[in-house]
Amino acid sequence: MKKLLSLLFISALGILLLYVVANMPPMGDPGAPTRERVIPRYLEEAEEETNTTNVITGIILNYRGYDTMGEVTVIFCALACVLAVLGREKRGRIYAFVDRSTTPSSVIVKTMVRFLVPLIILFSVYTIMHGEISPGGGFQGGAIVGASMIIFSTIFGLWEASERIPQKLRAPLEGSACITFFLVGVLGLIGGGNFLTYAWPRISSSLQPAVVTWLTVLVEIGIGLGGAMVFISILFSMSREEEEIAPAA
Amino acid sequence: MRLLHNYHYIGAMVLFCIGLYTVIVRRNIIKKLIGLNIMETSVFFFYISLGYLDGGIAPIRTGGADPSRMVNPIPQALILTGIVVAVSVTALALSLVILLYRQYGTLDVDHLMRDETAQDSGVGEEEATQ
Repeated sequence: MKKLLSLLFISALGILLLYVVANMPPMGDPGAPTRERVIPRYLEEAEEETNTTNVITGIILNYRGYDTMGEVTVIFCALACVLAVLGREKRGRIYAFVDRSTTPSSVIVKTMVRFLVPLIILFSVYTIMHGEISPGGGFQGGAIVGASMIIFSTIFGLWEASERIPQKLRAPLEGSACITFFLVGVLGLIGGGNFLTYAWPRISSSLQPAVVTWLTVLVEIGIGLGGAMVFISILFSMSREEEEIAPAA
Repeated sequence: MRLLHNYHYIGAMVLFCIGLYTVIVRRNIIKKLIGLNIMETSVFFFYISLGYLDGGIAPIRTGGADPSRMVNPIPQALILTGIVVAVSVTALALSLVILLYRQYGTLDVDHLMRDETAQDSGVGEEEATQ
């Protein structure tokens, strides 16, 4: 009954959406209304104004810097909430799932993971540092580091993983994305512009492009480091398993 | 045949409906969360295909790429933000689910509601006897 009702509701919604889709402008049309005002300007002038070849990075970090600052704060808040709900992982009482299973992971898997994880982290560093001239950026690089730690802690267990990236290292770096953004914003104020101005008006215009590039790279590194640490901390605090709270049913 | 030409939008619509159906019908909370993520993905897909351009290139200005042939960069920048927010929401929801499982030992919504009502009525009886 409930299934039938919900199917009816969803098919009604689907017909409504289909009607809307039928009235939308054709996809891929160069004269579509989504390409009208600000898009050509971004595409043509982003390179000179933000000094980044990748227009998307220019938009995220420069034109929409406030937006990204709020986004970084959102991840940090998510981490704070997860830690408030679950608590940090506690060394000494961690039993990862793999450790308790009767079949340990084979030598081949362990060797391959040990071989691959540094390469994955190297790739993430490339993604972060190359973000303004090629596809990539801070969030993507941070996500890649998080993925590498997921592989590692699945195979070797939480004990080993949190020994490699200890809590003492993670805790100060988790807020680095917010802090970097705020510092760059205040530096823009000191440089004579508004909050989050990358091209400081007080310095000579020949130096400005270099300053803009380095500030962009700095923000990318901050976002990458902070995002990676936040992802790893969320992962660790979720995969905590305590003996006395083993699944009851 | 504009409807057939906009088949990306139809795909996003179908994904959205599948996600919504999962959220409504499934009783397992984890499956509900997966449905929520499918809905989010459909919205991202819709936005990205809004920025598509026939024969378009990536909006990266290397080697004298022609700006008028680049795809729309705004949806991509917006969706990058959206993905991060979706990840945050999923992480928070999963942590709450872990807490629920530790407390009640089940992820079934009907079971959880029954436990809740049983506890409530039990408390009421105790108060009544007192």
